[in-house]
Order: sequence, then C-alpha cells, then structure tokens
Amino acid sequence: MTTQIEFSGVNKHYGAYHALKDINLSIGKGSFVALVGPSGCGKSTLLRSLAGLEKITGGDISIAGEVVTTLPPRKRDVAMVFQSYALYPHMTVEENLTYSLRVHGVSKGERKKAAAEVAATTGLSDLLHRYPRELSGGQRQRVAMSRAIIRNPKAFLFDEPLSNLDAALRVHMRKEIRALHDRLGATSVYVTHDQIEAMTMADHVVVLRAGIIEQQGRPLDLYDKPANKFVAGFIGSPAMNFLPATVAEGRAATIDLGKGPIRLTIPVAAPIGSSVLIGIRPEHITLTAPGEGRFDAPVAFTESTGSTTFVSTATNPELMVVETGRRMVANGDLVGLAFADTAVHVFDGATEKRL
Amino acid sequence: MSETFRNRLLLVIALLLAAIYLFPLYWMYITALKTGSEMFATPPSFWPDDPQWSIFPFVFQLKGMGRFLWNSAVIASGSVALIAVLGTGAAYVLARYRNAWVDVGLFLVLMLQVLPASLMITPIFVLFTLTGILDFPRTAVILAIAAKSMPFFIVLVRATFMSVPMELEEAALVDGNSRVGAFWSIVLPLARNGILVSAILIFMQAFGEFVYSKSLIQEIELQPSSVGLNAFMGPNTNEWNRIMAFASIYVTPILATFVLLQRRIVSGLTSGALK
Repeated sequence: MTTQIEFSGVNKHYGAYHALKDINLSIGKGSFVALVGPSGCGKSTLLRSLAGLEKITGGDISIAGEVVTTLPPRKRDVAMVFQSYALYPHMTVEENLTYSLRVHGVSKGERKKAAAEVAATTGLSDLLHRYPRELSGGQRQRVAMSRAIIRNPKAFLFDEPLSNLDAALRVHMRKEIRALHDRLGATSVYVTHDQIEAMTMADHVVVLRAGIIEQQGRPLDLYDKPANKFVAGFIGSPAMNFLPATVAEGRAATIDLGKGPIRLTIPVAAPIGSSVLIGIRPEHITLTAPGEGRFDAPVAFTESTGSTTFVSTATNPELMVVETGRRMVANGDLVGLAFADTAVHVFDGATEKRL
Repeated sequence: MSETFRNRLLLVIALLLAAIYLFPLYWMYITALKTGSEMFATPPSFWPDDPQWSIFPFVFQLKGMGRFLWNSAVIASGSVALIAVLGTGAAYVLARYRNAWVDVGLFLVLMLQVLPASLMITPIFVLFTLTGILDFPRTAVILAIAAKSMPFFIVLVRATFMSVPMELEEAALVDGNSRVGAFWSIVLPLARNGILVSAILIFMQAFGEFVYSKSLIQEIELQPSSVGLNAFMGPNTNEWNRIMAFASIYVTPILATFVLLQRRIVSGLTSGALK
C-alpha cells in the first residue's frame, strides 16, 4: 500500500498553546483513517492543517508524494465535509455541487452532467433545484458528501460529519459513508469524538490526546491491546473498569474493593510490591452465584435496555458489568463476578502504560 | 385591565406619539399649499381652503431646483460609492481578524463617529485649502461626508459579515477558490442585504447633509438642496409657503424611497441579530 498522506514532525502552536506535538502519521492510499479523541485533543486541528485551513508551525505534510506544507487549500486537491455541512445558502443544490467545478473552469454542460451523475448515486436527483434551507438534516448531509465526491480529489476529509444527525440516521449514514469510500477507492480521513464511529468505520484508528498520538492501529487491536490507560478507557463502551492493585509473588496482584484484599492472577510479570492498574472490560465480566466467581460484590443498581443489562457494584471503586440477556438481580443482592485471565489488562500505576 | 384593553391603550399612545412626531411634516405640506393670507390667519387652519398646487412648479423654476437636487444627488451618490467600496473592505477585515491591532482600529473607527461635523469642519477646511482639494468643492464635500459616515457603515456591515459563518469561506477555499474569490462568490452575496441597507441609510444621510456643504461650497451652482433651502432664510423671511414647497420637493423622494423600502431596511438591519 503506497502512502497517500504523510505527516512528519508536525507541530502547531497557538501563541503559547501547543496544540499538536510532533505528529508523525502516514496514511495509506485507499485507507479509511479515523482521528478520535476527546474535545480539545487536536484532531480537528490536524485535519484542518491537512486541508490547509491552519498553518502548521513545524514539520511537513505531504499528499500523494508532494509536500503541501506551504500550499493554500485550493492547491492541495482535497475535499472536506464540515460538521455544519457549510452548504452555500444562496445557491441551489446543483450550484452547491458544481461550485468547485465552476471555480476550476469546467463548462456548464459538463457541470450539469457531473451533478446529475453524483445526484443519482446519492439520491438527490429530485432536489437539485432546491435551496439548502429547504432540505432536511439528512439531505443536507448528503449534499455535503456529494459536493466532496463530485471532484474526485486526492483525499476526503470529514470533520465530525454525523454529529448533527439523530441517532438512527447516524447509524445509517455510517454505513453509507463507508460504502461510498469503498466504491470510490478513496483515501479518507475522518475526525470524530465518537469511538463507536471510529471503531465501526475505519481501517485504522488514531487516538489523540492533548496534541499527542496515544496509539494507532486497527480498531480491534486498539480494543484488545490498548497501549495505555487512556486508550483503554476511551475505546469501548461502557468504559473499562480500572482497579488499583499491588503486585504480589507468582504473577499475582492484590486488589482491595473495600472488603479486604483479593488475589488475582495477572498475565504479565511485574516487580513485586509495585502498584499497577488492573483493567477489565464490563462485557468480559459475567455474573455468577455468590462464591462461584473470582470474588463477590453487592449490586448497587441495574439498568436494562432490553437486550443488555448494565450492573454496577457497590464497591470502591465501582465496577460495571454488562450482561447480555435479562439476568435478574436486584439492588443489594450479592453476586459473584467471573472473568477469564486473558480478559485482564495490566497498566503501570505511575506511567499508566500497558505492561 | 384586560389584555385587549391594554393593547388598545398602547396602540392609542403609539398613534399619538407618531402624530406628534410627524406633525412638522404635515405642517410643511399644508403650509406649502396655503395662500399668503391663510398662512398668517389666527387661529391657523389645519387644511388649506384653496390648495395652491401651482406653487411646486413655480418654486422649482424660480429657485432652479433641478440644479440643487442634481448636486445633492451627485454628492450623496459619490459619498455612498466611496464609502461602500472602502467601508466594505474595512468591515470585512475587522470582522474576520481578531487581534490587538484590529481592536485598536475598531476603537478609532468608533471614535471618529463621536466627533461632530461642526467640530471637524475647521480642520477639514484648512486641510482642503492647503491641499487644493477645495478647488473641487463637491469632491471635497464627498470626501468629508465619507470620513464622517464611514464608521456608521463599517459598524453595520461588520455585523453583517460576522453573521456569515467562517466555515462557508473555508468550504470555498477547500473547493478550490482563493480568498478573494471566496469573498466575491460566497461572502459578498450573503452580506448583500446588509450592505445595501447600510448604503441606503448613508445615501439618505448624505442627501440631507448641510454643515460640510454649506462651509465648503461657495458657488451657488454647485450647492446641494440643503444649502439652497437655507439661502431662503433671512431676518425678514415671510415667504413660508415657498420655503415649505422647496422643502417638500426636496424630502418627498427620500420619504417615498424609505416607505417603499422600509420592510427591507428593517429586516436587513435585524437579520444579523436574529440569526
């Protein structure tokens, strides 16, 4: 896979604020990359730097082998879908779609043809002569996408394009965007704060925090082997349970949930006596009868969505358990908690890195 | 007090205030139409017995009003053109960039508006005499009015530009346009209403401008209507009907324009605020 987009040593300062810290990232041609992280992590800044809307203060960006660091947006040949869609309100859908072609001097006949073709694939054929204000949220979203794909650019950039849609439409558009990406064989960079979007849509997920890439890799690798506590807590929903523990002899660690020490086996070796964090995903814990699991804990409360039940324990720290099906436990019941040794993640207590 | 009663009371008060406010305008029109003796009758009549319609063409001819109105139009159009071109650019920059220098600029712009014309006219007169601009009196007045009214235009148009989302411009940039191109094809069309309304308000102001025109234009054939009207006045003036006829001819076109456009003017002024 050839590299389509390359960030090397990219830095961005806003005055004294260091927004991007030495970002190195290479994105293969045809891949779908998600930049994900909490707000203020620099993911949008990174995307806007790639588009040329922000000037980086250090490092280089190249697209398709050409260094574009100092080029204005119009010379970078990328298309962008904005969170607010940024449709031109004084233009019809057709004029919105063909704006870039008009700027590039494509003839009127060609423009009409291109708009008709794109509209046919995105289901906008009947709306070409409407204005953006006359469209629903989902339709506007489609226009924004179509405006990007009409140009056949070197890369598609998405800046949280689904965050203004309702939940059902969001799930639907996820699939549609991914299908579109596959059909066009495009290179896409997708910014989102929603880890589910990142996990379901991307081939490669980049987790950012405070201007630093915390981890990047295939979605399931991030889920199975999070590099540190932050990624472990960010990827997966509900979030991973973290328990402070002290390493004991024989690959064991003791945790304390408020009712005396509990011994657990850990999958890695660590200096005896050092403090670590044990991470267990809620979906990897199963409820058993008291005494039959690794340890027992009282139930604080339960929430059921019908298909799954979320159980919180009255321990300190609190543990979250996700049960599929409708296991009936009442508040205050004592339950046993069981999990496999392989489900245990261990992080260094001080650096929070994976051991 | 019931809701409808209160509404009616407020309506009556509003109508009363409007009547008081518009009374001078009404008095201007009926005085123009009165005969000489009716004008000075006590008690005054509120409706002319024998309307003298012929006074309008008569005064128009007598005072050479065509010339005056033409000069007013030239001065107003010139000022608006100059203000619209320079002010739109300035307003855009002040709307899009935020730093200490922009704040200083904005402060100075607002300061300019505080200074009254009667205070500014002396330094302006001296400056224009020294630079020789006074040899082109109407141009001199256009420059002076532009300097005076520009802040008002900039403040209004800046608000309009700020209501155009930055993302639209960015979308145009990514779509392959330059900053200048994005300004012309995206920002300007979206700000058009606000700019037009501000320009109309400036035009009306400039059409009635008096202080600069009176001070900078000596030649009668270059003077605008406001100065022409003032020339009527003297210590022993008694031809009120002719003065009122002059005034009526002068303001009626502006009033008509305002009434026709008032819906657009009001919506243009508030569109930025409500969105």
